[in-house]
Amino acid sequence: MGYLNNSVVTVDAILTTKGRQALAQNDGSFRITQFSLADDEIDYTLYNPTHPSGSAFYGQAIENMPLLEAFPDETQIMKYKLTTLPRGTARMPILDVGYTNITIKQGASLAITPQTLNYLGGNQSEAAGYTATISDVRLVTTFEGVGIDNAATANLNASSTTTLGTSVSSTVVGTTINLRATTVNTLFGSQSQLNATLTIIGRDSGARIQVPITVTKVS
Amino acid sequence: MSFNQLVADDFVVSADSITAGLWTNSETPTITTFFTSSTQANGSSGNYYLNIFSNEATSSLEFAVTYGNQYGSGSELYNDTVDGLSYTSTIYGQYRSLVLGDENANFVFGGVTSSDFYVISVDRNRYKEGLFPGSTTLLVSGSDGVISLTDNSNAVASVEFNDAGRVFQLVSGSAGTLFSGFNNQGYSVASGSYGWFLPDIATYILNPRALGSVEADGGIGLIPVTASNSDDQNPARFFSAISSSNAASFTANSEETITSDFVFVRPRSSEYNYSSNPSFISGSTGEVLYSSFINNPTTYMTTVGLYNDTNELLAVAKLSRPLKKDFTKEALIRVKLDF
Repeated sequence: MGYLNNSVVTVDAILTTKGRQALAQNDGSFRITQFSLADDEIDYTLYNPTHPSGSAFYGQAIENMPLLEAFPDETQIMKYKLTTLPRGTARMPILDVGYTNITIKQGASLAITPQTLNYLGGNQSEAAGYTATISDVRLVTTFEGVGIDNAATANLNASSTTTLGTSVSSTVVGTTINLRATTVNTLFGSQSQLNATLTIIGRDSGARIQVPITVTKVS
Repeated sequence: MSFNQLVADDFVVSADSITAGLWTNSETPTITTFFTSSTQANGSSGNYYLNIFSNEATSSLEFAVTYGNQYGSGSELYNDTVDGLSYTSTIYGQYRSLVLGDENANFVFGGVTSSDFYVISVDRNRYKEGLFPGSTTLLVSGSDGVISLTDNSNAVASVEFNDAGRVFQLVSGSAGTLFSGFNNQGYSVASGSYGWFLPDIATYILNPRALGSVEADGGIGLIPVTASNSDDQNPARFFSAISSSNAASFTANSEETITSDFVFVRPRSSEYNYSSNPSFISGSTGEVLYSSFINNPTTYMTTVGLYNDTNELLAVAKLSRPLKKDFTKEALIRVKLDF
């Protein structure tokens, strides 16, 4: 007789920078309601479906690898989400935002309407919309998502550019993301441009794209 | 879909008590060397209390000792024309307010009322929330020998409370085990207990009547000098009593309650079997890397993200090694969040 393995994996979590900010705001935004899983650090080319020792060894090079500790920067972790798709999916959803990088002048506006390729049999906009995260909210005076109408999204969009002058990320939800580059000259200091990243994730598909964003100083 | 809603059953809140050594070097629960600071002792605060250090570095401040007297005896008066108001009466009133909360109440140590006391007040930086009952062993030396003191938290059936929270009697014994040679409760023969242990404010209040009695009555002959309008240096005398080579040993632990939020994450068999990882696909068209992944995809989870309603990543946890996931596997991951 053998014993069944009933072990539970236990892991210690850390708060992200965004989590600490939400906790400090004390406005109810620090309320964990959902989870997601990611496979950051995994290189699937190490998976070997032709391993001579058989299927038990296909993932040998991955399964015993040491993992790094969690990073508190929410834009640098949970990069590659695991997703739930119908069995038999041959092509993974891919996001197309129309840009590989974004350069926008100070005070200029831009609307981004992502599309998900290879999703539910075609290319389409996801019903649940997209989350867009800018790594430094100081670069924009307007950062909002439109097209998804519910109270949580409205609250998020209402406070998306609220900052105390520090470099924190901001996340909005929508089918279209509107942004307007900052008009504040002092942010630039002696530099002629400011840089950040815009990360867009399909809320249904989990597909992700990260686009560098550059704001250039006008005067 | 990449987000799963958590339900009420997925959350468990737990509070655990964590104990540790009390002193600067928390790996060692006992200090055996005691120093004062001449700068502090000769300053204005030296009239009230003495700071005690475990070595010559000022960063090793461990606790303060002081002496309180209801009638102001044992120290010079603030003003010679106003009887009874001195440094010791200020200390007495301070602790009466803090501990008893009633200006008409008295300190009653094991049934015996005392008009004065010594105090050990542990430095705030040494403890987390309070002191751990049952961990104290304090040696005190006097002209009539040495006594080991502890608290009676292990011997009482119910805990008493006053305005300073939990109250335990200081009794003869060590590490929470009382010595009943003089009294079956660990008290002195006729002068009550040796004082109070107040773990919630990290304070020991010691009864001079019990410590001052003779050895046969469970005392050590440590009698405070209580002349009127006279600087009798009772804090320094008490410092000598605990730092004397006959004694010089003070053991105690601190206690902290850690509140943990456990979140149970349950990816089902049909969930999270595909990945948005760039290495999971080949080329720019999104085709999965291996043809076997079409019907039997395999992913390796490394990270758990906890989100709010608006998909903001609030907390994150990493697994110690990748956990395999496919259509034949489910997982149960317990994520611990400490506050």
